[in-house]
Order: sequence, then C-alpha cells, then structure tokens
Amino acid sequence: MKKIILLLLFSFPLLSQTSVEDIKSFTLENGMRVFVLEDNSIPNVAMYFFYKVGSRNEYPGITGISHFFEHMMFNGAKKYGPKEFDRVMEANGGSNNAYTSQNLTVYQDWFPNQTMEVMFDLEADRIQYLNFDSIMIESERGVILSERSTGLENDPMEELWDEVQATAFTAHPYMWPVIGWESDIKNWTKQDLENYFRTYYAPNNCVVVITGDVKVDWVKSLSEKYFTTIPSGPKPRDIHTVEPEQKGEKRVFVKRDVPSPYLLFAYHVPQASSEEYYALDLLESILSAGRTSRLYKSIVDDKQLAIDIGTAYWHSFDPTVMWIYAIANQGVKAEDLEKAILEEVDKLIAEGVTSDELQKVKNQKLMNFYHSMETISGKANTIGSYELFFGDYKKLFSAPEDYNRVTREEIQQVTQKYFTQDNRTIGILNAEEEGK
Amino acid sequence: MSKNLKCKMEDGRRIQKSDNLDVLIHPIIHSSIHTPKGILWTIILLMFLSSLSFAQFQLPEYEKYTLPNGLTVYLMEQHEVPLVYINAIFPAGAVWDGEQSGLAALTAEALLFGSKDYTKDQIEQTFDFLGASISSGAGTEAAQVSISFMKDDFEKLFPIFADIIKNPTFPQIEIEKRKQRWIAELDQARESPRSVIRNYFNKFIFREMPYGNPIYGTKKSVEGITVDELRGFFNLHYPLSNACIAIVGDFANANMKAKIESFFPAMPKTEIALLPDELRNEVELPSGNRVLLVNKDDSRETTFMIGGKGVAWNNPDIVQIDIINTILGGRFTSWLNTELRINSGLTYGARSGFPHYKYNGTFYAYSFTGTENTVEAIDLALQVLDRLHKEGINQETLTSAKNYIKGQFPPDYETSGALADLLTTMFFYGLDDSYINDFEKNVDAMTVEKAKEMIAKYFPRENLQFVLIGKADEIRDMVSKYGKVTEKSIEEDGF
Repeated sequence: MKKIILLLLFSFPLLSQTSVEDIKSFTLENGMRVFVLEDNSIPNVAMYFFYKVGSRNEYPGITGISHFFEHMMFNGAKKYGPKEFDRVMEANGGSNNAYTSQNLTVYQDWFPNQTMEVMFDLEADRIQYLNFDSIMIESERGVILSERSTGLENDPMEELWDEVQATAFTAHPYMWPVIGWESDIKNWTKQDLENYFRTYYAPNNCVVVITGDVKVDWVKSLSEKYFTTIPSGPKPRDIHTVEPEQKGEKRVFVKRDVPSPYLLFAYHVPQASSEEYYALDLLESILSAGRTSRLYKSIVDDKQLAIDIGTAYWHSFDPTVMWIYAIANQGVKAEDLEKAILEEVDKLIAEGVTSDELQKVKNQKLMNFYHSMETISGKANTIGSYELFFGDYKKLFSAPEDYNRVTREEIQQVTQKYFTQDNRTIGILNAEEEGK
Repeated sequence: MSKNLKCKMEDGRRIQKSDNLDVLIHPIIHSSIHTPKGILWTIILLMFLSSLSFAQFQLPEYEKYTLPNGLTVYLMEQHEVPLVYINAIFPAGAVWDGEQSGLAALTAEALLFGSKDYTKDQIEQTFDFLGASISSGAGTEAAQVSISFMKDDFEKLFPIFADIIKNPTFPQIEIEKRKQRWIAELDQARESPRSVIRNYFNKFIFREMPYGNPIYGTKKSVEGITVDELRGFFNLHYPLSNACIAIVGDFANANMKAKIESFFPAMPKTEIALLPDELRNEVELPSGNRVLLVNKDDSRETTFMIGGKGVAWNNPDIVQIDIINTILGGRFTSWLNTELRINSGLTYGARSGFPHYKYNGTFYAYSFTGTENTVEAIDLALQVLDRLHKEGINQETLTSAKNYIKGQFPPDYETSGALADLLTTMFFYGLDDSYINDFEKNVDAMTVEKAKEMIAKYFPRENLQFVLIGKADEIRDMVSKYGKVTEKSIEEDGF
C-alpha cells in the first residue's frame, strides 16, 4: 500500500493531461472575466456563465426568485424574442440547461464549434436586453409550481430537507429552499424581476468559462465583439448576515405516510474558502463514499438498519451545514436508526480515523479530479467552481496536494469541533411520531 | 438531482438519452482552425437556417478479437486522463427471470458478494482504497459488470474483476441481507410515481411477453429467490463464450492482450441463446384505447405515459425515427414540451421516446401535472400526437432537428466509460462501426417526404395505451373518456 501512496504523491502533476498553463483568461473592460481551455477531443464546446447570485441573495417575500429568474432568462430579449433563444440554439445544433443553487446561477450551453458565434450573439442579447413578457411570466410561474410540486411528490426526503434547513438556520438566507416557498412563487411581480436583473445580471458579476474545440484568440475576438458593449453595473450589496452560533440541538418532525422513516441531520460547518474545508470534505467521504465508508458499512451493510444513507457538503460562500441523510429499513424505528448513526459519529470523535482510511479518501479525491477533467462540461464546471468558491481557478490543480496535506489529527479535530450535539438539527419524516 | 440545485430541465443535456441500452446499474450507493472570416461566412449561412455539416465524429480506433474460449474482447486506447474503464456484458437480463421476477437483477448484484479468491470485504476494500469503482446490474435484456480505476492499478484490480465474473460464490448470508433490503426498496420506490411508471407501462404493453418483466421483481418473487436459483441462473447465463469485455482508456494495447488471456484460459465453449425466442413475436395489443389508472392516495399530481408499440434495435429507420421524435418530444423546444410546458405552464417537462430492445420496443409520451389539470394536459398531449399525423413536419423544423441531433452526438461518446459502454452495446446488439460512423449520413438522408412515411408507419395513433398514476377518486370519471379503465392501487405488489 505504501508504494501506491508515494506514486500518487509524486506523479500527480505529470499524470494530469491538463495543466494550469493550459487555462487562459482575460478580463473585458466591463469587468467580465473569461476563462478558456482548448480541448479538441470532440468538435464541441461547453460555454458556462457563472452569475454570482443565488437564493442567498433573496429575502422573505421573494424567496425562489433567483431560480425563477434563471427560467426567465430563456423567455425573450431584444433581438431574440420569447421562445427564440432555445429555438435558435437548437437549430444551430446547440443545447442548454441552467441551474440555481444557494450561491450561484449557472447557464450551460453545449454546441458544435462552428456555431459558436451564434451562441455569443444569443447570450449577449439576453445579458443586456432581457425582456419580461407578462404572458411568459405567468406560464413560467406554472412551470415552477409544477417543478416544486413534482419534487415533493416524488421524494419525501425533499419535503424533510426544506423543514430541516428552515430549522437549522435562524438568520441566514440559506434557510429557505432554492425553489422558494409556494406563496412567494405565486406572488412575485414583474417589478421584482426587473430589480433583480438590474442588481445582479451585470458582466462584472459574471465569470465565463469556455472549454472545447476552440482557439483562445477566436474566443477573445468574439468576447470583445459581443460582450464588451454590455455596460457594467454597481457591485451588488454584500450579504452581511452571519448565522449566530447554535446553542443546543434542534429537532423537527414531518408527518407523511411513508413505508419507513426518513432521517436527516444538519451540522453547521464552515464554507469552501475556510482552511478547514479540506479536512471536512475528507471527513464527508470517510462517512459515506463507497461501500467501505463508515456509515454505509455499519448502518446499511452490517446492521441492516437503512436502505439508503449518504451525506452532502456543498460548496458555499458562507458558513453552511453538512448533511447526513438515511432511509430506514423495513420495521426499523427512527429512534434506533438515529442512535446508530450518532454512534458512528461519536466513534469518529473519540477514536479518529485510521491512516488507511485517510489514504483511501485521498485516493478517491484524486479519482474524482480525473473524472471531472474527462469532459469539456466537467472542465468548465470545475474551473468556474474553483474560481468562485476558492477564489482562484489555480487551486483546482493544487487541490490534490491540499487534500494530501490533511492529517488524521486535523480530521479528528474538525469532527470534535463541529459534530457536537449542540451544533446539530435532526429531522424525522414518518407516518406517525414514535412515542407520541 | 441535488436537493439544493434547481434546474431549467429535468434530465440535463439530451432528454431522450436514457432510452438507449436499457441496462440499469442498481443504485447501490451511489480541428480545424477557424479564422474570424470563416466564422462570418458560417454565420451568414446560419441566418438561412441551412443544414449544417459539423466536423464528423468517428468511432476511435479499436481492436476486436475472440479468445479460444469464445470471449469477445474490445481494446480501445484513450489517453486524455490516466483512467481505465472495463465493461463486461452478459446475456443475463430480466427477460430470463421466468417465474422468479428479479432473479437476473439479484444475480448480477450478488456477483460482488464474493468470489473463489476474494471475499466481499476484500473486493470492496481493494476497490475503495484505490479510489476505483465497481458496479454490476441487470437490465431487461443484458447484465453488466463495470469497473474504472487509475491506470497503474490494473494488476491489482483486473484479477478481482476476472474472478468475480468467472467464480462468484453467492454466500447465503449476504444474499439474505440483500434480499431483505431489496424488498424494502421496492416499497420505497412506490413513493415516487416517476420511478415506477415505466414498470406499469411495459407490463401493460407487453403483458405476458418477458419484455414486461419488472427488472427489480416483486416483493413476493424476490422473497422466494434462493441461493441455488442464483447459482443456477449464473451457470446458465454467464458463460464467457457468449460474453464480451471492452477495455477503454489509458493503457498500451501491446501488452494488454497477453494479460487478458492469462485470466481467461481456453475452456470448452457453451452455446446458449442470447435471448428467449418468444421475444421475437409480434406484440398484440387489444383493439381500442385502454387506460390503467394506478391510485396513489396522497398524490397531488398525475404522472402519465401514453403510447403503444415501438421499434426494435435493428430497425433500419431508427435514426429517422429519432429525428422525428426529437421534434415531437426529444428536446426542449419539442412540440410536447412547447405545448405542455412553455405555452401552458401545466408541467415542468413533457417528452416522448422509443425505448428499443433487440426484437421489440415501445413508444411513449410522458409528463406530469397537478391533479386538477390532468385532463387538460392529456388532451394537449393527444392533440400534439394528432398534429404530427395531420400536419407532418416542415423543412425548417426538420433541418433544425437534424442540426440538433448531429451537434449533440459527439458528447455522448466523450468519455472512456461511455465508449466502453458503446462497444459492449454494439456487441450485444450486433451493431457495426456504421452505427456511429454513418450516423451523420443517415441523419442527412432524411427528407420531409420520408418523415411523412415514418410518422404514418411508426408513430401510434390508434390503440393508445394510457398509464396514469394519481389520485383515482379525483380523476376516475374524467379519464374514462380516453378508453376502457382498469384500476390498481400503487400499494399492490407487482405491476
């Protein structure tokens, strides 16, 4: 096993077929930053726009508007009216999607390289001249209500997630679901959308990443032609709300007729830019990555207490939570599943992790890095994420080393610091509350 | 989808992509230089919405050969990342389940529970420690075992992989544990109409034909599966002579061949059928429209599929059918999504597809909507189907769909994993390189006149089959206008 470890440490920079110098970047006069990575493995291009706006920029009354706005970005501007954006893109061999998180709104275009100029034209039009057609607003409102409803219809965990999140946070906007509360979805106005557009959709609030079968000079000339004329905007106000320290365990129960209980734990932890991030991220893998992970091995495989178990620790700008979720096996009480999960957490607090275990998750991180660099989409997404969440895309290349530096002691320290009873929220969804 | 990400579209890039090879891995855990001038010319052309000719995607070079024991091997070098993907395929899908529904899927998964030389713990620890992954699962027609790893770990992992597919031990205790969780998973899946609707739909269309077998079985059948049955199933359906492995990634072809052969020595060939003969039969649908209404008491929406008979893998018109389906329900601006989502706001998504098997297939239109909008949404979907037959497709729409399909084709085969999957699929369905290399040519050959023919021939208009999952009390009376209604409860075992 030792030989493998050495090999991983020393050969990393050589093994990676993409190196830091391959990524070129430039900033337009209006503040828009553009990153380019040439990759001619397929004759296609991935073009991603990362806007620094998400549900954390909302407030009560307009929750979910970032995501609604994301949908409206496809509903007409000046040169390309309602329905034209998608029609023209698809007719030119392109497809797109977009996603909104608590922190970001990301627009993704995938297309054959010959049609890149059309894509620049489409994007420039909507960034500069988005138009809010009243009829489109109303039909999109229906779409979002269906999106919200179908999520809840098909996944009881989604319902529990909303409740636990709203309980774990008392002040910070991470408390509401990205899709927003139903009454806000039904009531936001055209004016709200226009305000949002002016505030957040300026080129200086956007990072563009283009990967694929392109040349940097070509991207540069198109960026200058299409994007430089877009006026920059004032810097959006900072989100200054700091979630106060949690002083004691919180619990929430949701009643729903399910065959077995659903459990969800949330522990407050720091954001991606924190020095403790790498230790926490490795801890998350130790808990749930693979069949030999602590939780899967013990709870699902050995004790047969759950049919599904997992964790989540997403990149964020502000302090966030680490999630542990589980669905109980048939006939297993929520109480027993909860106890077993907490026992695993306590064991990590008391005994820490083994060196083999730590090396395992470091190897997994390296493998994940390669997977993310396998596709032009993966590359675009990774470059943008590192630039925004870690402050520098170059950290993408030092990440394997940053993980490698983490020690067993550091992992135990972050576990002891954050996985305490006072710092957690526990949610249970079940047909009946046990013992009541 | 992650709980904290909300997307424009449900299924990402190509919404019809999931309809290719129906092998599901059980979710256990989880060139040319362009000058600005040249570009300007392209833009001028685009303004007229011409048919575009993109840089052609061709299948990368590979080697295919057969070992003395009958095992087919594909080798394809890909050096972009230092990873290797290996995919093995066996004629061991759910169509062979017989009375023991779920047998194929459980057998495939249980391969990883231990082999002659490695215990379950050793397999899991070795793969996990190296950051590698291993998965196995059965679909309707075939079973697959897939591994991926960093290139230097070949020597450590290939022997395990080989032992697993040759000598699995099916330990009783692990089988019993997995069966018990499996049954709980079957219950839990019913919480999500969209994850079970295809089971109802396939059963409704194929009825007694094994294509209607639910891959994960029923609670009753899974409960009854014994270790002997798993062993029997393995012995019958996993001979190497009928299998294929594809190795794609960062390795050197030259020394790979000898290595592989050392793990798969010569042995007597066993000839078995790839698929049961009865699958070749014509699917007979009862005349008249039929409705299966599946009641889910706590539903707030209705999830529905409308469709009928589709086509088989070897259908010579499959590319042309795909083009028309792109227009009907295979992309964001498709007619179904435009009417049900963009114009009316009734749903988050609507689509259609032709899932195809070796000898048969289905056609479906799919969407979901709030309970109160059920009839409005289904009526709209039916109007769209009708319009396809009445109006056909004009030149502009056809050109757009052709460009879209061609433009989105290369990313489907971008990774070594996707290529390994493609090669085993080509083996199983007897496809040759033209499946990839002539794709653009076949797309280009499509015309408006041909489209008309294809629509009349392949897109069902009569004998429509409806499957609806929702609150029966609130929609029963309204949906009886679509056809003869049969009712089930979602809580009933089976489909």
